[in-house]
Amino acid sequence: MHERLSFYVQRSSAIHDLNPLTKVILTLALILIAFTSPWYWTPHLLVLIAIIPLSFLGRVAPEFFKTAIRLILPAAGFLFLMQAFFQPVGESVIFKFYFLDVTQESLMFAFRSSMRVFVMVSAFTFMLLTTHPSELMSDLTRRGLPGQFAYVIISTLQILPQMQAKAQTIISAQRSRGLDTESSFLKRAGSVVPLVGPLVFGSLAEVEERAIAIEARGFTSKKIKTSLHEIADSNSDKIIRWVLTILVIISIALKIWLS
Amino acid sequence: MLEKIKNNFNTQTWVLIPIAIAINIAVGQIVLLLKLPVFLDSIGTVLVAVLCGPWAGALTGALSNIIWGIAIDPGALPWWPVAFFIGYMAGRMAGWGFFKSWWKVVVTGFVVALTAAIVSTPIAVYLFGGITASGSSFITAYLLQTGQGIWSAVVSTSFLTEPVDKITTAMLAFAIIQGLPKRTIGGYPKAEQAAVEGEANKNQLYIAVGVVVLLVLFAAFMLRNILGG
Repeated sequence: MHERLSFYVQRSSAIHDLNPLTKVILTLALILIAFTSPWYWTPHLLVLIAIIPLSFLGRVAPEFFKTAIRLILPAAGFLFLMQAFFQPVGESVIFKFYFLDVTQESLMFAFRSSMRVFVMVSAFTFMLLTTHPSELMSDLTRRGLPGQFAYVIISTLQILPQMQAKAQTIISAQRSRGLDTESSFLKRAGSVVPLVGPLVFGSLAEVEERAIAIEARGFTSKKIKTSLHEIADSNSDKIIRWVLTILVIISIALKIWLS
Repeated sequence: MLEKIKNNFNTQTWVLIPIAIAINIAVGQIVLLLKLPVFLDSIGTVLVAVLCGPWAGALTGALSNIIWGIAIDPGALPWWPVAFFIGYMAGRMAGWGFFKSWWKVVVTGFVVALTAAIVSTPIAVYLFGGITASGSSFITAYLLQTGQGIWSAVVSTSFLTEPVDKITTAMLAFAIIQGLPKRTIGGYPKAEQAAVEGEANKNQLYIAVGVVVLLVLFAAFMLRNILGG
């Protein structure tokens, strides 16, 4: 069996004990503030004073830094390079490379937008490291999210690794039969169908069976379902959520006010 | 309105959506491996849009972008509105009967590509100042250096790169739906949208060629205007 796709790390910490919705709001608040705040250094500061300390507080710092270095830094770094070279803003040229100028302004611009992306992804990573997907979904369902959405998210996380494994099997099988996946452009374009076809047809064949199976378990029933697992929602959770909401409103208001 | 959204969703739709998201991501990765100049990462979205309706397609698009962003490439995250409208537009076109023969599917692909180009432009401009982490930004950068405005540079880039990808996606989705047995398709809310019209006659073929030529001329004209202005 393949594991489900999940970043969750089981630890006991103050962050793990927070209500899942609080962590979602925390993530969205960090992202919104990073993107709307009119002050240049906000995204940089958010990483230093919010996201990194929080990852220590949640006792997921090793995993957080591992993901940051492997996944987030390359993406942010590439964006930084692209923008530093290609943004045609600014006068004070630092150096020239053929027709491309790197100016002080384009460097500053690139630094901010890559930091924004960094905040966005690292906030999500932090949430996923400390929140179990099933817990988040059952809490949101309790608050009124239709059960169907919860089903879509949870079963995507389950199906995706299976599908990727199936794709690997198909690629190997077709290669061993002599399918060309590496030579000329036309040969590679021609091998799309023999690779995609089996994967898609195979997985669509399961749909009806799955539909009958979940229908038999009361999937479309309108009755309120009880949960075996109670999820705590303390008063401090509520206070944190309100404070975060107010901070976001202030940030957006400042942006509108100053522009 | 709410009723119209609801009739996109039956149990089969809900089961198909996660599978379609996984198809989007898995096929996108296969194509990446083949090093082709297209993405083909919305085949699942188009499948859902045609079989179940525009809202189901939109939901599939947005969710697969978000999951792709979280699990594989963080740079994909801000682009979920583009995927949302790809699904929505594909579903609308199918609803208007534009998914019943191969030339209509080409038109659908073209319209979806235009939608994607229009929706992605403000995201590229506001969030990234026009230069994103995607390879096609080299074109944008070149156009910017030649003295073009940021909006026209970004729009021209999308008009150059999107149609090939989206038309191929729509054609593949069409081929897949035609390849599925009738009884597998029957359970979806909008199954009749995917039924092929009688045999394609010669006249339709001529119309098809005419439409394609017109669209290409239109695109060329638009581009020249944008590049000139």
